[in-house]
Amino acid sequence: MFQYIIRRILIAIPVLFGVTVFTFFVINMAPGNPVDMYVNPSATPQQIALAKEQLGLNDPLWVQYGHWLGQLFQGNLGFSYSTREPVTSMLIERLGPTLLLMGTSLIVAYLIAIPLGILSATRQYSWIDYLTTGFSFLGVSIPHFFLGLGAIYIFASKLELLPTGGMNTLGGTTGFGDTFFHMILPVLVLATGIAGNMVRYVRSSMIDVLGKDYLRTARAKGLRNFIVTNKHALRNALIPIITIIGMDIPLLIGGAVVTEQVFQWPGLGQLTIQSIGSRDYSALMALNLIAAIAVLVSNLLTDVVYSIVDPRIKYE
Amino acid sequence: MDYIQKKSKKMMKQLVLFLSLISLVFLTACGGSGGSSNKGDKTMYIGMVNPPASFNPINSSDIAAQYAERFMFDSFLDMTSALEFKPKLADSIDTTDNQTYTIKLNPKAKWSDGQSITADDVVFTFNLIANPKTETHVGGNLSPLQGLDGAGKLPAGQTTIPGLKTVDEHTVEFKTQKPVDPNYVKEMIGTKVITLPEHVLKDVAPDKLAEDPFMIKPNVTSGPYKFVKYSKNQYVQYVSNDKYYLGKPKIKNMYIKIMPAPNLVAQLQSGEIQMNASFGIGDITFQDLDTVKKLSNVNTSVEKQIGFQTMQFNTKTIKDAKVRQAFVYAINRQQIVDKLLKGQGEIVDGPYTSLNPYLDKSIKPIPYDPNKAKQMLKDAGFDFNKTINFVVPIGNKIREDSANIIAENLKAVGVKVKTTTYDFPTIMQKGKAGDFDILLIGFTMNLDPDLSSLYAPGGTYNFMGYDNPENTDLLKQGKSEPDATKRKEIYNKLQNLWEKDMPVITLYSMKEIVAVSKNVTHGGPKPFGTQYDLQDWDLKSK
Repeated sequence: MFQYIIRRILIAIPVLFGVTVFTFFVINMAPGNPVDMYVNPSATPQQIALAKEQLGLNDPLWVQYGHWLGQLFQGNLGFSYSTREPVTSMLIERLGPTLLLMGTSLIVAYLIAIPLGILSATRQYSWIDYLTTGFSFLGVSIPHFFLGLGAIYIFASKLELLPTGGMNTLGGTTGFGDTFFHMILPVLVLATGIAGNMVRYVRSSMIDVLGKDYLRTARAKGLRNFIVTNKHALRNALIPIITIIGMDIPLLIGGAVVTEQVFQWPGLGQLTIQSIGSRDYSALMALNLIAAIAVLVSNLLTDVVYSIVDPRIKYE
Repeated sequence: MDYIQKKSKKMMKQLVLFLSLISLVFLTACGGSGGSSNKGDKTMYIGMVNPPASFNPINSSDIAAQYAERFMFDSFLDMTSALEFKPKLADSIDTTDNQTYTIKLNPKAKWSDGQSITADDVVFTFNLIANPKTETHVGGNLSPLQGLDGAGKLPAGQTTIPGLKTVDEHTVEFKTQKPVDPNYVKEMIGTKVITLPEHVLKDVAPDKLAEDPFMIKPNVTSGPYKFVKYSKNQYVQYVSNDKYYLGKPKIKNMYIKIMPAPNLVAQLQSGEIQMNASFGIGDITFQDLDTVKKLSNVNTSVEKQIGFQTMQFNTKTIKDAKVRQAFVYAINRQQIVDKLLKGQGEIVDGPYTSLNPYLDKSIKPIPYDPNKAKQMLKDAGFDFNKTINFVVPIGNKIREDSANIIAENLKAVGVKVKTTTYDFPTIMQKGKAGDFDILLIGFTMNLDPDLSSLYAPGGTYNFMGYDNPENTDLLKQGKSEPDATKRKEIYNKLQNLWEKDMPVITLYSMKEIVAVSKNVTHGGPKPFGTQYDLQDWDLKSK
C-alpha cells in the first residue's frame, strides 16, 4: 500500500509538469496581454512598450516559462501582473474563505443527501421517493446564479433576515456568529446543487445493492432491517459514492466561481474570474497548479479509501 | 473482516472529525476583531463597484485605485472645476516663462509619522518615476520635462533629471524641454503625480518598488486618512489622520465598501452606505434611477462627466470618409440615450463633452437621418454586399445594448452587419491588429485637450489607423502651444477636421447618478475635485 502511494506520487510529478506546460501556453495564446489592462488611456506608445519590457512579456514564451518554473522550484509563485502582489499571499488570503464555504457546503450536502438517498431507495416508488427524486432533479437543474439571486431577493431584500453578501459585517461586531450568518445563503445554494446530484447516486447505488442475494440472506438470518440497510447494504453501495465525493473534493479548492461572484464571497473563484479578465498570467498559473494538485491528491485519496471500504480491492 | 471494518469506521470518524475541525479553524481565523471604536466616533461607508488593484500611487492605472489612494495621499493641487486649481500639498505651481516651473509646498505638510514633507521627497519621487527601471503609470505625465523621453524616462544608467532641483526646504524647481501650457503642468503633474516618502522608500531598488509591501499596505501617508486594512473585494478601511495639516478630519472611520452595482441602491436605502462612489467606479444603473430618486433618506442628482463612448471606424477597410459619415447619419443616438440612459446622456460628435472648455460649441452633432444615409452610401458607391465586422467589448451592459440598436440602424439603411463580442483584452488585441470594421470603446481622458493617444498615428488607442498629415501636424502644434487661447483655436480646427474625416464618432457621454444620504452634511461625489476637502466631510450627529 505504502509503495503504491509513493508510486502514485512519483507519477504525479510528470503529470503536473505537463499540466503547467499546457496551461502556460494556452493562457498565453489567449488574445490580449496584461499590459492592455494595466496602462491608463492617455498612455503613450513608449510607455506601453516600456511596461511590456519591464514585465518580461517581450521574451520568447519558452524563456518566460523557464523563468516561471525556476521561480517555482524556489517556492516562489511570482508576482501578480495586475496588483504586483506576491501570488502566494493572494492565494492564501483567498484559500481560507473558499475552504470554509466549500467544506461546509459539502458536509451539509452529504448530511442531507446520504440519509435521504437511503430512505428513498428503501421506500422505492413511495411518495417520499418521488419527493426526493423530484427535489434532487430541481437541485441539479436550477442554475446556481438563479437560486442565489432568488435567495437574496427573498431572504435578504424582502424578509431582511440575512445579509446580501460578503463574509463579515463592516465596522460592526465580527466573529464566528457574524460569518455564520453570511454563510447561510451561499451554503444553502451550493449544498442544494451538490446534494441534488449526490442523492441520485446514493439512491441508485443502494437500490442496486438492496436487490443482491447476500442481503436476502442477511435478512433471512433474522438481522434487523435497520442494520441490514445501514451496515451491510450502505457499505457495499459506498464505492460509487466515494467516487463522487472524490470528484467533489477538488471543488473545495477550485471554489464555486458563480456562487462566490453572486454572494461577493472573497474566495478563489472570484480571484479566478478577475485574473482571467486582467490576463494575470502568474495568478492563473498558480490557480491552475493548485487545482491540478487538488485533483491528483483527491484521486489518490479516493483509491486509498476504496481499499478500506472494500477489502477485495488491493493495490500492489 | 471485523477488524478491518472497525478500522475503517474509525478512519471515517476521524475524517469527519478532521473536516469539521478544519471548518472550525477557518471560521475562527476569519472572524478576528473589527478594530476598536469609541462611541461618538463618526463612520462613513462609500459604495464602490470596481475593486482597487493596489495602492501604489505612482503605478495605478485603474480609477478605483486612484480614488482609494486619494484618501491617503495628497496631490500638489486639486481641480475643483474645469481648469480651476486649488492648493493642496503645494501652495502653488508657478512659472514666469512657461518653461521653468516652481512648486511651493505647504510648509506645514507632514507625513503621518510626523516627518515633514519636503522638497527632497518631491525630487526623490520625480527621479524615481523617471528611472527607466521603475514601473509607473505617470511616466507620460513627466514626459515634457528636460532629459526625458516620450515615456517620461531617463536614458539607461542615469538616475537624476537634469534641471530638477530643490530651491529650499519647501520649494522645487523643474524645467520643461519646450514652453508648456501651465494648465497642462497643473493638471498632469499638479493633480496626478503623488509624492512618495523618501525616508521610507529610499532603500528600495527601483525595479522592486512596485512589488514592495508599501504599495500594498502603505504605512506612511500624507492625506487626511490613514490606511488600516484592505479586505480583497470587500472593503478598504481607513482611520482619520488627526494631525493632518489641512485640519483634523471630522469623520473618524472611513470605509469603501465593494459590491455589485445592483446592491448600491439597496444599501443606500438601508443606510449601510452613505453614498455611491459614482463616476465610473460606483455607478448606479439607470434602471434604478427612479427607485433611488424615490428614496426618502437620499438626495439624488445627475451629473455630467468627461468620459465618453465612441465608435471607431477602421479607416483601412472603410476608406471613404463619406461612407463613415453616412454610418453616423444612420445611427439613432438619441434613441440610445432615451432608451438605455433614460435620457441622461449627452450627444457630441467629438471627444470633448460640454464640461470641457475646449469643446467647439459651433459644431452641431450630426442628426439621425436614415434617408440621407442611404443616399450618401449610394453616392459613394458603397458595396451593400460587404458584411461589416462590428466588434463590441463585454463588461458594460449599456454599451452592449447600444450595439444592438446600432446594428439594427445600420441594417435599416441596407448595410449588412455581423456583431461579435469579446472580453476587453481581446478587444485591445483585435483593435491593434485592425481586425474589425467598426468597434465600440469608451474613454475617460484628462481635461487637457491633447488626445494624441487616440488620434495620432501610432497612438495607443488609434485603432482606426487614422493618419492625416494635417491632423498629425495640428496635434503637435496643440501639444506644444503654451498659450491657452491659441491652443483653443488649434483644437477647434482639429474638431472640425475630425468631423470631416470622421475616423471615430462619440456615441454618447453617459451622465452619472450621484446618491448621497441626507445624513451627510458635507461631501459627496462630484465631476471634479471630489476628494478636495475630505477633511471637512461630515455626518449628522446621532
